[in-house]
Amino acid sequence: MLIETRNLSYVYMPGTPFQVEALKDITIGIEKGSFVGIIGETGSGKSTLVQHFNGLLKPTSGEVLVDGKNIWSQNYDLRALRSRIALLFQFPEHQLFEETVFKDVAFGPRNLGLEGEELALRVRMGLELMGLNYEAYRNRSPFTLSGGEKRRVALAGILAMQPEAIILDEPTAGMDPLGRRNLLQLIERLHREENLTIILVTHNMEEIARLADRLLVFFRGEIVLQGTPGDVFASAEQLRQIGLDVPPLTQLLQELRRRGKNICTDHFTAEDVAAEILCLLRGEDRL
Amino acid sequence: MSNIIEIKSLTYHYPLEGGGSVKALDDLSLQIAEGEYLALIGPNGSGKSTLARHLNALLLPGEGDVLVDGLSTSREEYRYEIRRYVGMVFQNPDNQIVATTVEEDVAFGLENLALPPDVIRRRVAEALEMVGLTSFSQHAPHLLSGGQKQRLAIAGVFAMQPRCLVLDEPTAMLDPRGRREVLETVKRLNRSEKITIVHITHFMEETFDADRIIIMDKGRVILEGQPPDIFGGEVDLESLGLEMPSIPKVAQILRAGGLKIPPGVLDVKQLVNYLC
Repeated sequence: MLIETRNLSYVYMPGTPFQVEALKDITIGIEKGSFVGIIGETGSGKSTLVQHFNGLLKPTSGEVLVDGKNIWSQNYDLRALRSRIALLFQFPEHQLFEETVFKDVAFGPRNLGLEGEELALRVRMGLELMGLNYEAYRNRSPFTLSGGEKRRVALAGILAMQPEAIILDEPTAGMDPLGRRNLLQLIERLHREENLTIILVTHNMEEIARLADRLLVFFRGEIVLQGTPGDVFASAEQLRQIGLDVPPLTQLLQELRRRGKNICTDHFTAEDVAAEILCLLRGEDRL
Repeated sequence: MSNIIEIKSLTYHYPLEGGGSVKALDDLSLQIAEGEYLALIGPNGSGKSTLARHLNALLLPGEGDVLVDGLSTSREEYRYEIRRYVGMVFQNPDNQIVATTVEEDVAFGLENLALPPDVIRRRVAEALEMVGLTSFSQHAPHLLSGGQKQRLAIAGVFAMQPRCLVLDEPTAMLDPRGRREVLETVKRLNRSEKITIVHITHFMEETFDADRIIIMDKGRVILEGQPPDIFGGEVDLESLGLEMPSIPKVAQILRAGGLKIPPGVLDVKQLVNYLC
């Protein structure tokens, strides 16, 4: 298990009239190499939880373990942890600040003590994993890039630290369809080819159904559902009650099933769903 | 039906820092009918927001003309009236809140019109009712959810009794419930209050209820039609930097597999009805 939480609770502004219990008794495990989706309405605790995974927040009670070690035990190297489990905040393009793309991407690995040739190699690797040509981008100012490019540069800066896991908090928020598609393809490839553990917080049910192998569903600081996308989206009514939704493709399959069609609801791309329906219609001799 | 908005050969350049400029709108002409629900889609940088900001004179034409109910936005003496006719709602709800209670936030614009207090009270109550926030009237706006904040922004504009509402990616930052709430509110404003809607979005499914969809690219209108024209399988949306929404995409693959699904089948209910 890469990351575990045990009875984790977190209270914002404890002891004040504004006290909010943001996380209540969360016990979960995230396996190395998995792709975990975290969903839940705004304010349900998603972002608060992921900030515990690399020690940005300290639990009010309970424990966070990485590779079985309590990250709040004495002498634990939190700095090293943050390069192993890297977090990309919402709207990361607001955090670009250097005069060139190179310097911005180099910021993280330089803080790890890298320099010279080795540093340049890391920057090249980070940019190229994000589909950005090193020579074409290294000397450009981050502020002249498009929104989608800025986001990829921010992610390149994290990848240049060679993390084992990346946490992405709504990485596609506000992007246009093409930008979303490109970024998600790159993230998918990081998971598949680089074997990175991915933790993705999102409001987009359709994206996460297709990408994740496990989902955690938050409601008011608690995990109310977890499992494969198939398991989770089977609880359609409960999801709606807690402000979420079922992706249209899953709604389609569920409704066909409800109407007595013998159909498998565990498909999450238009291609797979269409193939399942064609197969059904052939079975009914309608094709 | 008469046109509430007429855009004639509109060209607009954004000035660049250090000289020069970039063309954001290129000889664009468009009419919007009173009571129409118009959806505006296109990749980033295609000029959607620039166009939206011309509709209530936040931006003024470089060349060409924008007429709102026949009044040119280029003429300063009409601007006050134009801004009352055309209300705007933006992407980030947090940037649109001005007061410390929900009620006061809605009243803000009305107070600036110097209306009598009882008229203000009535319009605020009506606006909160319309967006479903009546029970929140004494709440602090910053404690509302994202969807509630966007509905509050809509209420503030609605209270001004506009004839047209322009929404620039109003659901971009919302969770699924917030998105549902905002979309239902917008639809209601159009259907029961007959307010003209211009809705800019990156989510293709949000345009299924529109009367007309406009696709923009490089500052021009490159395609327009009703939802079945756009999503019925005839248009290569990916080549335009857009995407085919999932249910129309399934329908498209099924058509290729030999089914005769009409182009108007866009949502789950319609496809299920066709298949069962």
